[in-house]
Amino acid sequence: MKILDILNNIDRRIIYLILLTVVVLPLIFPSVEKVRVMPPVRKLYEAIDNIPPEKGLIIDFDYEPQTAPELDPMSFAILRHAFHRRIKLLVLSLYVQPLGLAQNALTQVVEEFNSAAQTSEDSIIYGRDYVFLGWVPPPIIPILGMAESITNVYRVDYYGNQTDTLPLMAQIENYNDIDLLVSISGADPPKWWVAYAQSRFGLRVGAGITAVSASEFYPYLQTGQFSGMLVGMKGAAEYEEMVERKLEVKARRKASEALLSLTYAHLVIIIFIVIGNIGYFIRRRDRRKQ
Amino acid sequence: MNISGNPWIWVSALMSLAIFSFLYRDNPFYRFAEHVFVGVANGWAVTFYWHNVLAPSLFDPLFRQGQLYYIIPFAAGMLYFTRFIPRVSWLVRIPIGLYMGYYVGVSIPATIQAYIIKQVQGTILSAQNFQAWNAGNAGVVWSIILFIGVICTVSYFFFSREHKGVLGLSARVGIIFVMIGFGAAFGYTVMARISLLIGRLQFLLGPWLGIIE
Repeated sequence: MKILDILNNIDRRIIYLILLTVVVLPLIFPSVEKVRVMPPVRKLYEAIDNIPPEKGLIIDFDYEPQTAPELDPMSFAILRHAFHRRIKLLVLSLYVQPLGLAQNALTQVVEEFNSAAQTSEDSIIYGRDYVFLGWVPPPIIPILGMAESITNVYRVDYYGNQTDTLPLMAQIENYNDIDLLVSISGADPPKWWVAYAQSRFGLRVGAGITAVSASEFYPYLQTGQFSGMLVGMKGAAEYEEMVERKLEVKARRKASEALLSLTYAHLVIIIFIVIGNIGYFIRRRDRRKQ
Repeated sequence: MNISGNPWIWVSALMSLAIFSFLYRDNPFYRFAEHVFVGVANGWAVTFYWHNVLAPSLFDPLFRQGQLYYIIPFAAGMLYFTRFIPRVSWLVRIPIGLYMGYYVGVSIPATIQAYIIKQVQGTILSAQNFQAWNAGNAGVVWSIILFIGVICTVSYFFFSREHKGVLGLSARVGIIFVMIGFGAAFGYTVMARISLLIGRLQFLLGPWLGIIE
């Protein structure tokens, strides 16, 4: 029983150290494995891919730095998809904190495309191809107001331009001109879009969410209220795989690079849970014998 | 290895390490980082909300542009501060009542439609729901499991009768579904937390230490 005693009394800091090791090593020696794409991710990919040319896509950035490792890769992959397909894109946020993250993602992905562009037609141009609407408080008001007029809710964009002067906004008046909204969030906003924009105005909604909230959101996928869903880093890696495989867009796959670390960390945690349970049952049996 | 020369990356990295140091034990570095975070977050929020909400949406229209009807939301907002004056603290009920009245009116129909009616429809054993699983013929099986799970779980939370007989059996099955749900939620939580650790390590090993790209 000596081994059992050692395992039962193992210092938590040793577990942290083991966990750190199995997470760090695959990051230092990365290898991107082929990722198996699951139906919720494929559905969202197809929903975005099938947006007709006359309709637009709204991406709602609603996450903060503490959930960015999971949600940033989703945003990058979806932006690459939208820009590659030249989908009319509106970007907004229901909260103020995500604005910087949204701007960072837009700047980086636009730069990726524009650095490879030869002509103005190939380039991604602000106001023509996408508009960053910014933020209008409180959250429910813009969701309801955009059903009537988007430019009335967002009179100026994130950069201070009058939205009704932007060429793209002449083509997009309200939800009738939007085919899909994707809410990337670490909290409840995807549900708000379903409750206030979908139930009332029929807007299709997709979601990118953190893994911790997955079990809360799956019912909305099953009922068809979500047109597709990305869950955590795994969902982001699957979307990266789709974008690279189907569109041949080569870019850094931050989520895919992290999958090995995630897998090994899960294995370590499973092993410790199994050891803990074996120890518990052996001790309980011994106590009963005594 | 290409260590960053950017002082802000150093600040960010050192603050992260200070927070991680709590894993060893509580210490002054952790407490320093925690207090700095709370202070910076509050300072940033006050400044941001002043410049982006209060000034452009209320104070500028009212005091600079002379749009006097803004006095109504201004007065309603000021009533929140009556909480600090015991004799007139009851006035705070006015803005709370306005706020609650609006949101309850807006949210009740939407909530019932999206969170209750649609979810109940999702548990009905219909051909449309079978296909929603994207699992071919197995969709029927999954729908039946979902149906049983919902009925039994709801019955577990039915406390008006003692859990005996049929109700006892369904409640026992219900608690199994609840436990499976907790297990799934815990598994996803582990995945989420490890993902956040990976994100921070990608920053420390990348932009700070330059070990990875």
